[in-house]
Amino acid sequence: MKSYQTRQTVNQVRFNNGLTWAWSALFLLLSIQWQPVSLKMPLFYMFIAQFVFSILHQTLLKSVSVKGYHSEKKNKKVKLLSIILLFGIFSGNIFTFISGLVTLKKSKSTAFIYSIYMVLVDVLVISVTAMNVFKPFVAESFLTIMYVLISLLLFHSFILVFGDKWHGWHNNIKRIVLVLLALSSLIGNVLTLFVAVSLYKEGIAGQKGKRKTSIREKLVRNQAALLGLLFITFLITISVTSNFSFSQSFSESNNYNIILQEPSLIYPFGTDNFGRDVFSRIIFGAQISLSVGLLSTVIPLMIGGTLGAISAYYGSRTDNIIMRLLDVLYAIPGMLLAITIVAAFGASTTNLIIALSLGAIPSYARTMRANVLQVVNYEYVEAAHALGQGNWWIIRKHVVPNALAPMIVRATLTIGIAVISTSSLSYLGLGVEAHVPEWGNILRIGSKYLETNPYLAIYPGLAIILLVLSFNFLGDGIRDANDPHVN
Amino acid sequence: MNKKILSFIMASSALVLGACSVQTEDEVNDSGTDTNQNVETTEKVSLEILGMGSNETDMNIVRDQLIKHGFDVELNTQPDYASYNSQKEAGNYDLVMNSWTTVTGNPDYAVRSLFITDGDYSTISNDEVDRLINEAALETPDNYVDTYTELEDTLVTENAYIVPLYNSLKAQAFNNNLLDSESIRLSKSRAFAWEPVSFVDEAMNETETVMYTQTISDLTSLDPIKANDGSINQLNTNMYVRLVNLSDDDQVVSDGSLSYNYAIAEGNEEYYFVLRDDINFAKVENDEAVDTGEMVSGQDVIYSLNRAKNPDSVPDHRTFSLHEHIDEVSLVEDLSELEDINLSDGSGNMLDALGKDLDSPIETLVEEADDVDNAAGDYQVVKLTTTEPFPQVLNYLGHQSAGIVSQKQLEAVNTYDIDSFDLNEDVPYGDQRAVTEGDSYDNHLYASGPYIMLKKNDYEATFQRNPGYMTNSDHSANIKNASVRFISDEDSALSALRAEEIHFLYGLNETKYDIVEEEDNLELQSMPSNGVSYMGFNMDDREVSESKDLRKSILYAISQEEINSAYEGNKLKAYSTLSPLIDTGNELTADPQKVEDFYEAYLENQ
Repeated sequence: MKSYQTRQTVNQVRFNNGLTWAWSALFLLLSIQWQPVSLKMPLFYMFIAQFVFSILHQTLLKSVSVKGYHSEKKNKKVKLLSIILLFGIFSGNIFTFISGLVTLKKSKSTAFIYSIYMVLVDVLVISVTAMNVFKPFVAESFLTIMYVLISLLLFHSFILVFGDKWHGWHNNIKRIVLVLLALSSLIGNVLTLFVAVSLYKEGIAGQKGKRKTSIREKLVRNQAALLGLLFITFLITISVTSNFSFSQSFSESNNYNIILQEPSLIYPFGTDNFGRDVFSRIIFGAQISLSVGLLSTVIPLMIGGTLGAISAYYGSRTDNIIMRLLDVLYAIPGMLLAITIVAAFGASTTNLIIALSLGAIPSYARTMRANVLQVVNYEYVEAAHALGQGNWWIIRKHVVPNALAPMIVRATLTIGIAVISTSSLSYLGLGVEAHVPEWGNILRIGSKYLETNPYLAIYPGLAIILLVLSFNFLGDGIRDANDPHVN
Repeated sequence: MNKKILSFIMASSALVLGACSVQTEDEVNDSGTDTNQNVETTEKVSLEILGMGSNETDMNIVRDQLIKHGFDVELNTQPDYASYNSQKEAGNYDLVMNSWTTVTGNPDYAVRSLFITDGDYSTISNDEVDRLINEAALETPDNYVDTYTELEDTLVTENAYIVPLYNSLKAQAFNNNLLDSESIRLSKSRAFAWEPVSFVDEAMNETETVMYTQTISDLTSLDPIKANDGSINQLNTNMYVRLVNLSDDDQVVSDGSLSYNYAIAEGNEEYYFVLRDDINFAKVENDEAVDTGEMVSGQDVIYSLNRAKNPDSVPDHRTFSLHEHIDEVSLVEDLSELEDINLSDGSGNMLDALGKDLDSPIETLVEEADDVDNAAGDYQVVKLTTTEPFPQVLNYLGHQSAGIVSQKQLEAVNTYDIDSFDLNEDVPYGDQRAVTEGDSYDNHLYASGPYIMLKKNDYEATFQRNPGYMTNSDHSANIKNASVRFISDEDSALSALRAEEIHFLYGLNETKYDIVEEEDNLELQSMPSNGVSYMGFNMDDREVSESKDLRKSILYAISQEEINSAYEGNKLKAYSTLSPLIDTGNELTADPQKVEDFYEAYLENQ
């Protein structure tokens, strides 16, 4: 009988194994030049490196899959393989890095798993930001940000390596570390908060070995959700730091000397028909796609949630009035409503958020109403009534918190839809202003050059796909974590 | 533990060292970076630019250039023409994106309605501009260059009423495996002529249908005077013959027109046309074009031109302003009258000019259509007088709105009372309902041109050759059946061309030239067009309306070279809407110093 920890380890390695092979296959595909058939040598060397790591990873999977393997016991072969696989990160392979760390550590606490992804976010952000050194010039505060990022990476790596010694630390040091972790989330790396909370909870007496019940704890079992979380956190962090580390003159200012350049080290994703760097545009576009996606989910979540809760709690006439009015709104196709609003009030980010939010209110209200209808019948609500508590108090303290979980799942899943809607509207010329580097806008320009300069459309398209996939994975993960049947 | 800490410190120091190399990279580059910082630039006023989604590229470039010169720019992009126009009429702009195509090929058309006080599209009022436009209109092409140059100087150099952006190329692509390259005409102003087109394999001309395309499927009207837009220009041009035609380089000629010859009498107020007798009207019977046996006569010409110049001849008359210079149209009855008239250029008398190169010389002038017999020397001669000397009237006669219609058929169809006309009940001549498949189909068209429309739906319109059109000359149509596909999206139209769904594509975006050139079975033709894109200023109650210094400051911020490179070198320079027609020698060059100087002057005069 294998231990829970061992099974988790094997699952993680198995999950990464497929991905690392896919990753090397991608490099093989990229390295082949089709017309005429030849190999692009730098990419081919990358493929060979990935291929070697993949074989090592396959060996690791074999070693941990055997019956006698227990993650708690020392195993020299596994340890050696793990250490080698750690270096995969230098070739851009984060999967072998994760597997290496997971097999290397004996105890796999929630904080440890989150620390891995926290460090990975730092590494990704630093490597992407570092691409700027190839540019003719860098932003004023580029170096400062680089130093901040690198010191954060060092700090976070320290937590990753020595986090399991947490219990032995002095209380004051614990406090300082927690505060520092929380502060470091200010650059956008929200995973530091997850780590801080996990460390704090583990530090509370009697918590060790306790059954994992919270979403935060259960999420670490879902590798796809964690990858989604990694990419989203990466985007949030790069959105925050790009304001200081990327120069806007490359993304928004036209330069007619470098029109439609092929991808190169200076312009990793090429330049568009106005000579703007598509790479910088996609980085700055993340800010808009993310903020529009998040805001146009949070606003209807709040409004629809409140209306749904009120409607279900008070019932009868209130319910009828609110829900019938919302039904009217529900009858109008969301996208059509958005197009009408933007066409009437003009293309701008604010209008876009309003347009996308309005159409989503009824569906949130319906979900919340169904949840609350169920919750108000529970005994604890009745008990609260019997104790003479006011309606408002009961709604806030007892009803809403217990009805919120399905709403969070729904919200996470619909952020992806909001991102796609934003991009679709921009693609139609109805989103944000045409010069703003929003992903749909970038894609629209790229689509005009699909045949001659396909990279102009491929990269923004990939960015949209990845972001939506990430939110979907995360949403699925949260739903599974929430679902008593799955547990 | 110690070992771990040691390796950790080593890893950290490696990272820090890595960061140091970043720093040097930055230091090297940091010294010589400020390339895009224009040191002299000062902060300037905020400008609002109005345009359509299709102007996106232009608006982006202009915005970028103005911002780099210190202006604060806000874009107002409207998705379609209707909403753009309502914003324009509401005056919600400082600068508005405009484009103008001189479809008649004459300079008067390029300036009159745009810049004269109270012109159809004019927002400016300047006595000097009015005077120059009217003065130039009276002059012949040899004399008007100086006047138009002076007009351009007043319009742009002195007052900066417009900011010229570029002159476009006109491009068309076709399948050269199927269509004979020699038979495809590319004309500067006139719509594409279908009659010379031929398949490579001439046997296919009788059996196969040639496929053309256009974007708009909703046809304004097939009555030539009731529309002047992209939905019918190509169709009406090929369905109705005119007194004269424009050649590919915009010269007024009689080739392929209703007249054998034309001439201008001394004084530039009288114009004479000698008519052919080998064009009959066609009509549609049982989905086939048939010859009515009715000749396109001088009476039809008089009827057509009189209704063209009279605003009240039909409801929704859209082209009378083009023909407002026509005074009187009549038939000449007395041959000796022609002998006494001297030509405008003093090269001889009218009779000789009209009789030049005719197979049989003019013996008698007849009035009745039935009496016409060119082979026997019996001709009809039309005399047209203008309200004032106006040689450019000939260009308007070559425009599709001056197409000749059948007096008999129009009087038979247009039986409604003009004052109580109701579009829901009355079907006027040329209404698309009469040719649309379905219950309302009742094709009443009488075509005087090389082709006639059989029917249309939302997908395509089908045409057949006019069997009574110049049957014994080179100008009769080669291909029997033609079809016009309605494809609203330009990219889809190009795909259709590549997939051989259509054979000919008229109008092609600059960014697609490469794709067409790379295809083996496609051929690209392009030439400078009469289309000019420019920005107009809001001349009503804005900062830019009051100060010409501010306008000039904006004018010199625009670099046409940069616009051209964004269009991959496929745009030409322009100084005004006259640029494609007249070589005035003016050229707009961006000048940051002038931008600052004029802006300073604007601030001082405030």
